[in-house]
Amino acid sequence: MDLFPVWLSLRVALTATALTLLIGIPLALLLARRRFPGRNVLEAAVVLPLVLPPTVLGYYLLLVIGSRGPVGRALATIGVELAFTWGAAVLAACVGSIALLIKSAQAGFESVDHQLEQAARTLGRSEWSVFWSVTLPLAWRSVLAGAVLAFCRALGEFGITLMVAGNIPGRTQTLPLAIYDRVQAAQMDEANALALIAVAVVVVLLFGLSRLARLRF
Amino acid sequence: MAVMRRPLLPAVALAWLALGSGAARAADPPPLTVFAAADLAFAFKDLAPRFEQAAGTRVTLVFGSTGNFAHQLRQGAPADVFFAADESFVTALVAEGALLAETRTLYAQGRIVLATVKASGPKLTVLRGLLDPKVRRVAIANPAHAPYGRAAEEALRKSGVWEAVRGKLVYGENIRHTLQFLQTGAVDAGIVARSVASVPEIDWVPIDPSLHAPLNQAAAVVRRSPRPELGLAFIQFVNGPEGRPIMKRYGFMLPGEF
Repeated sequence: MDLFPVWLSLRVALTATALTLLIGIPLALLLARRRFPGRNVLEAAVVLPLVLPPTVLGYYLLLVIGSRGPVGRALATIGVELAFTWGAAVLAACVGSIALLIKSAQAGFESVDHQLEQAARTLGRSEWSVFWSVTLPLAWRSVLAGAVLAFCRALGEFGITLMVAGNIPGRTQTLPLAIYDRVQAAQMDEANALALIAVAVVVVLLFGLSRLARLRF
Repeated sequence: MAVMRRPLLPAVALAWLALGSGAARAADPPPLTVFAAADLAFAFKDLAPRFEQAAGTRVTLVFGSTGNFAHQLRQGAPADVFFAADESFVTALVAEGALLAETRTLYAQGRIVLATVKASGPKLTVLRGLLDPKVRRVAIANPAHAPYGRAAEEALRKSGVWEAVRGKLVYGENIRHTLQFLQTGAVDAGIVARSVASVPEIDWVPIDPSLHAPLNQAAAVVRRSPRPELGLAFIQFVNGPEGRPIMKRYGFMLPGEF
């Protein structure tokens, strides 16, 4: 059995989760701490990917990053082709999963006592230092829980990936796409084996993390 | 947090690097990539290895929805050849310049059959049989976007039973999905493609092709393919002396082959 989809999916989901943390944490902090015009719009935009059907989202995303789309053309001028590569699968996984991280992290940041942050500021700490030494240590369980959910969603992402990365065996066929492909081809043994691997990865991850961090999901 | 960060981050980074070996396969010279309508899956899995041997190239088969493929080809999908379930998509993509007009080839004419689930009562032989109250649910592909669904609707309308059967209809996303409704016994009867009907769970009879517009299925080479001659060779192989018998065996007939 070809295990390429397993490795590809793990790589895609790990990369996507890293990117999601990088982009999601500042956004979550912004939503939790600041009142600014357009905040409601941003909050709605964040959860939009959960509302739209993934294939529809993928359709629109492909219009943007495809060879005729604005982003696709801009990337082409610097010699980069994103659509139908594993990078597109990462983008799909990010779009599909970032809301889970942001909402969880936002709730965590909101539950941090402002007075503790204020105390750190009166002691001369910079905002950057306050975040790393007070806010994040108090909210990290929520951030990690969100990251785990985002990773699982990224690992299972199907619809957006199908549209923007294609379902090309050996290149962009991720684990969920491979399982779907096998089911369509009536190769149930392979489909079951791949599905079992997907479940095993997530079970090991959740079990390992809950042992490591005493998290409750 | 400090306890967590130390073992976790390097472990994740290591895992990422290790997984790189898997994703690096993308750097190999790309094989001939064929986008094919989902109903071609069985025929092409049989046929592609023979072409690989004859042409000395590797072939990557991608099966999916014709509509999705059309959208992806407009956006520069890296395919060499496109086998559509419905020639109207090929016509549109040729007009838009995404496919090469001179390579356009008819590879099959689809036929629909009336299928009955073996486990659920009497075998139907005519479309009027669907009116039988014992037939509670009837599966067809979604007529709004699936060509076989559109043909099913036309046949039901021409036979004058559309209005009466309408309340029993269940729509499948595509013809394989429709077949799954029948195979799992979720419906009692249905209209599916001849090419997917040879499964043990159902009985079927052909539906008169004059009841619906011809389901012409066409293929063409993608304009941005770096090796259009190889793509064309694949199309010619499918329609050639080695390909045709296999296509016929899986129910993909050209006019003259029925």
